[in-house]
Amino acid sequence: MTGRLCRALGLALFLAAPSVSAQHLTLWHAYRGAEQTALDQVLDAWRRAHPTATLDVLAVPFEAYASKLESAIPHDHGPDVFLDAHERLASYRALGLVTPVARAAEPTFSAVAARFDDTAVRALTAAGDLYAFPLSVKCVALFYNPALWTDPAPPATLESIEALRPRLGSETYPLVYESQGAYFHAPLLHAYGGAMLDDAGRYTFVGPAAERSLQRVIAMTRGNIIPDEASGALVAQLFATGHAATAISGPWLAADLGSSVSFRVAPLPALADADGRRMEPYATVEGAFVSSHTRDAAAAIALAESLTEVPAAVVRARVGRQVVATRDAWTADPELARDPVLSVFREAAAHARPMPTHPHMRAVFEPARQAILKALRGDRSPRVALEEGLHRFTDVTRPLPRRRDATLALLLLGMFALGVVLNALRGLRDPVFRRDLRRSLPAYAWVTHAAVTLLLLVVVPLVIGAVTSLYATREGHSYYVGLANYLDILTARGGPLLATGSFYRVLLVTVLWTVANITLHVSIGVALALLLSRPLLRLKALYRVLLIIPWAVPSYVTALAWRGMFHRQFGAVNALLTALGGEPVSWFARFSTAFAANVTTNVWLGFPFMMVVTIGALAGIPKDLYEAAAVDGATAWQQFWKVTVPMLRPAMGPSVAMGAVWTFNQFNVVFLVSGGEPDGETDILVSEAYRWAFTRQAQYGYASAYAVLIFLILLLVTRRRSPEAIP
Amino acid sequence: MNRRTPWWVELLVHAALLLAVVFALYPVLWVLTLALSPSGTPSPHAIPWPESVSLDNFRAVALQHDAAGRWLFGRQLFNSVFVAVATAVTSVALATPAAYAIARMRFAGDRTGMRVLLATQMFPGVATAVPLYVILDTLKLLDTRAGLVLVYATTALPFAMFQLRGAFEAIPRELEEAAMVDGATRWQAFIKVVLPAARPAIAVTALFAFMSAWNEFILAATFLSHEEAFTLPVALQRYVGEHDADWGRFAAGAIVVSVPVMAVFYAVQRHLVGGLTAGSVKG
Amino acid sequence: MAAVTLRGIRKTLGANLILRGIDLALTDGEFAVLVGPSGCGKSTLLRTVAGLEEPDAGSILLGDRDVTRAPPRDRDIAMVFQSYALYPHLTVRDNLAFGLKLRRVDPKEIAARVSEVARMLTIEALLDRFPREMSGGQRQRVAMGRAVVRRPQLFLFDEPLSNLDAALRAQVRVEIKRLHASLGATMLYVTHDQVEAMTLADRLVVLRAGAIEQEGPPLEVYQRPASRFVAGFLGSPAMNFFTGAVDATARFADAKGLRVPIDPARFDALPPGHPVVIGVRPHDVIPDPDGAIDLHVEVVEPMGFEAYAHGTVGDVPFVARLEGGAALPRPGERLPLRVQAAAVHLFDPTTERSLDAGRS
Repeated sequence: MTGRLCRALGLALFLAAPSVSAQHLTLWHAYRGAEQTALDQVLDAWRRAHPTATLDVLAVPFEAYASKLESAIPHDHGPDVFLDAHERLASYRALGLVTPVARAAEPTFSAVAARFDDTAVRALTAAGDLYAFPLSVKCVALFYNPALWTDPAPPATLESIEALRPRLGSETYPLVYESQGAYFHAPLLHAYGGAMLDDAGRYTFVGPAAERSLQRVIAMTRGNIIPDEASGALVAQLFATGHAATAISGPWLAADLGSSVSFRVAPLPALADADGRRMEPYATVEGAFVSSHTRDAAAAIALAESLTEVPAAVVRARVGRQVVATRDAWTADPELARDPVLSVFREAAAHARPMPTHPHMRAVFEPARQAILKALRGDRSPRVALEEGLHRFTDVTRPLPRRRDATLALLLLGMFALGVVLNALRGLRDPVFRRDLRRSLPAYAWVTHAAVTLLLLVVVPLVIGAVTSLYATREGHSYYVGLANYLDILTARGGPLLATGSFYRVLLVTVLWTVANITLHVSIGVALALLLSRPLLRLKALYRVLLIIPWAVPSYVTALAWRGMFHRQFGAVNALLTALGGEPVSWFARFSTAFAANVTTNVWLGFPFMMVVTIGALAGIPKDLYEAAAVDGATAWQQFWKVTVPMLRPAMGPSVAMGAVWTFNQFNVVFLVSGGEPDGETDILVSEAYRWAFTRQAQYGYASAYAVLIFLILLLVTRRRSPEAIP
Repeated sequence: MNRRTPWWVELLVHAALLLAVVFALYPVLWVLTLALSPSGTPSPHAIPWPESVSLDNFRAVALQHDAAGRWLFGRQLFNSVFVAVATAVTSVALATPAAYAIARMRFAGDRTGMRVLLATQMFPGVATAVPLYVILDTLKLLDTRAGLVLVYATTALPFAMFQLRGAFEAIPRELEEAAMVDGATRWQAFIKVVLPAARPAIAVTALFAFMSAWNEFILAATFLSHEEAFTLPVALQRYVGEHDADWGRFAAGAIVVSVPVMAVFYAVQRHLVGGLTAGSVKG
Repeated sequence: MAAVTLRGIRKTLGANLILRGIDLALTDGEFAVLVGPSGCGKSTLLRTVAGLEEPDAGSILLGDRDVTRAPPRDRDIAMVFQSYALYPHLTVRDNLAFGLKLRRVDPKEIAARVSEVARMLTIEALLDRFPREMSGGQRQRVAMGRAVVRRPQLFLFDEPLSNLDAALRAQVRVEIKRLHASLGATMLYVTHDQVEAMTLADRLVVLRAGAIEQEGPPLEVYQRPASRFVAGFLGSPAMNFFTGAVDATARFADAKGLRVPIDPARFDALPPGHPVVIGVRPHDVIPDPDGAIDLHVEVVEPMGFEAYAHGTVGDVPFVARLEGGAALPRPGERLPLRVQAAAVHLFDPTTERSLDAGRS
């Protein structure tokens, strides 16, 4: 039997043999839209020029880009060449993922460097070596709609834009930009003399300048100068449809707008109330990096460099609307220099501030975003919001626990293993055990294959995960720290026990989440099952099929759809509220409403399961019990409580327990619907663990400690409540 | 017992059920409207009904080609179907004999095994993704459909085993005994008698395994590095990125992804009640 | 067809001793019935013979072949289960053919044997139905057909009639007997129903707590029970028992409210005053104004051709069978009864074995 299975498995493996062999160049990028089209054209040209080589191109979703690179390259599954922004350079170097494309010691170095704009070369240089061929420089600029900004000169100050307000309809905004994003807030902050991060990697989005910048945004929001909580898509939509006079955005907006609306671009305006200083955006230099694990460094470097050659740069500029860093491209194609968009962006870039390269920069965005959001929503004063942001940043970047000697742990482990082995040996001498074992042999033939695969792909990863929790890991480095991660978590990292993001607070939310969901799942499921089990009900089959539909929809589709439905401006829920005469609600602004949104989504997702289980359990209750109860004079209500409930309990117990475990670890809904908003308050333990692992500098050890704690809690609770309930 | 209920009770029952149906269908209709709307941005209307109907979004999703001119959507659809079907087949093939042994035979370690199995359900996947990556890499199965199938099948295995164990316990022991007396080996009795009798439960178990594989995207996004190796959910995820959300395409893609599952679900749903409770009624 | 020999079969399940050393020999073509209360081990014994349970000790011989460790399929036996165990996904035809197909019998031969058996059991009309489409009686016949079609050396029946209603049960009982007569096969039949046991058996084997209490031809076991247990188990209504003693003459046994004669041929060595348990079957008493059994009638059940009078003798419950046609006593009346010496059973109060000199 196992032989047959092995053959089947072998066949499956054969059919699914690696879809791609590795003997060629691979390039990864995160481009979309016009930039992707341009890149594809450039690469096609490269392929025509190199007919013998094969080139594989992967467009990775931006959100997953960095973590994918970090995990793939060390395992030799990464690209040979990848396109990324300069601010990752420091951490990629620290992880050893990249190799210089031109060394300072090489005689050709200065010739290479001279081909590109100075800022671009500076941003991609570390320790004297150039680590990527500069592709383009990105920064934001001011788009304006000449139909709404009628002055022939571009807006010179922010105040002049604000002055548009009385002249525009209430549906039209003087300015749109992603006001809650740290990247878009930075120009304002810089104008007031502040900075997000200093050169030493210290978080500096606090203090008077930061407060002033926040107050300015609040004033603009209250004054209806800018829309509330605009996303990138909304910015594009409002500007494209003529509902915004100006917009702060990058060259990608120009590419997306196409010819749908006439627009002009100008450098960002100045702030009159900041002594006329200009809003200074971040500049991001994109480069073509070469992986340190490439099999053919020379070929990879040649490919990377070819993307920056003049014809390629011209294509990227004309098709992809990139502000290319290749100097000669601007002279080679006279139209580029005349281009009203690109030339402006090139000018803006020359005056932009390069994004700090310190690894801590990655930890800035989330706390800064939360601080801006809180201040905008009025939940906190700007000062408190900013201080909480600093606290959050310190929390994430806090120094790792100190290294500990693993000898003691290994010794204990060794003794434990020895004990297990000795115990097993003693057991083997016991005749009763030997007899049991002999009798078990035939049964083992039936379970071994399942046991082995489970061991390999479920238990081993689980044990490795658990062991990881004893290590401090961040950005790819790791060392043994004993129980320090647990200590850190269980002491709420030294803060108040119920502070936002502390283990206990999150645990409370998780318990609340589980209880609320299970209560609603079970009560709705049972209620519907009771209705559907009425013997004379018409259309029963139809109802049942329709009510099961939520179960059949993939949960991430559900989650994203509900997130859209809870959108403040476009969401159906608010539309419904307005239609019923209510006020639209900013669902993710407050814990109570965000939590309610999560619960609603998860209830939608989960009630059909309970309904189906209950229908099955109800079918198992003998009819004569009800007849006996009816004869005994029980009312329908009494029958429900005295017959139905006690009979359902044993049948549904295991399903409810299983459902509770799943809900406790329901990652998709929390992560995709509220995303932890506001400020992580609706995060449950598992999404908090995910954040530590994947969005907070890859602290896998810390995340694993969370996972182990979740595991222990569930084990304890299920064991105490129902030792044998689930099978 | 089955007396006729008064009309107003009947009315209330239907009203309650209709309310539930509206709740169940609303998001589905919302997504459908989005997919059919040419603008691709959510329109702030309470009633999900497209102002004008266009199939542009579906066309954009279904006709997506990569730079080399390969029909990406076709490949990704094939990947999804292959991975989901193979996961269902593999996990059921692995789970049935094991679940049968647990249901019918006593052996040293059976209870411990079940406890471990149960415990694995409580460990969040967050912490196992990275070790799994390393293991697949060692097995040279990273970035392959087979690797994905193996991971999905084992992830679905514990639940499949609980399900099937319950189903097998519900089948009278005499059936296999009769077969064995009739001349069957234990394996023949299992194949020729027990499996056919457990068909509904096996169908339901396979459905769950199929769904879990069809819907999964976090591990798929981690393990797959080539666009033509992607499964549909991974591709779908790209439509609603942080920076530009193309809701119309996302909705069209979501419908493309959901329809096959719903079809399979519909085909199996009459077994659902029996197949599920066979597993759960047994305490 | 084969003889069956069981030697010292012992079986424990967990901590419970289910079979405590069973020795039993069936001759070729014999119909043996294992009977006993539930939990006596009769089903376990049957399943051990079938090979579905492995004995801890002892051996099982079919003919002269030792099959103790052989799996069921190698024993050439057929079994009819209490629940019939028809394969739910197969038609009647396929159910019947299942075992033959497994043995790779020629398809033509299978078809011939299936139709022959179907004719024999009059289930031809059911051949294309599924088990769920048939009544309990029909399923039962199919289950028997499935056993018969295999032409095994030994038939095993595990309470095959207990899921049928009374009328059908009587009918199928006769049919099994006819089947046995026509096939001449060795059959081992388990039941807790003493009517089936009495009517079907060539040899009756009474089991109690994992050991054989008594075996023999059914009438012999009925008439000369080896123990109080067997005496009480066989016969309906059950035998009446009294605790008493042999009187001074040694010719009678006394208990409160009754005095019965002792058959000297069977119980000659009993000294006066010997404590005994007296057993009298309800069918063996006759109303007699001079009778020494003083029945205080409480309930009368007229059945038509006979009637049962329930009441007490002394303060012990007592049932008497009366002729149905005669004038029946009324509740509250006293009814003196007589019993013949040959119908009186005496048991040792401590060992509960029969004091019959010809026995034990």
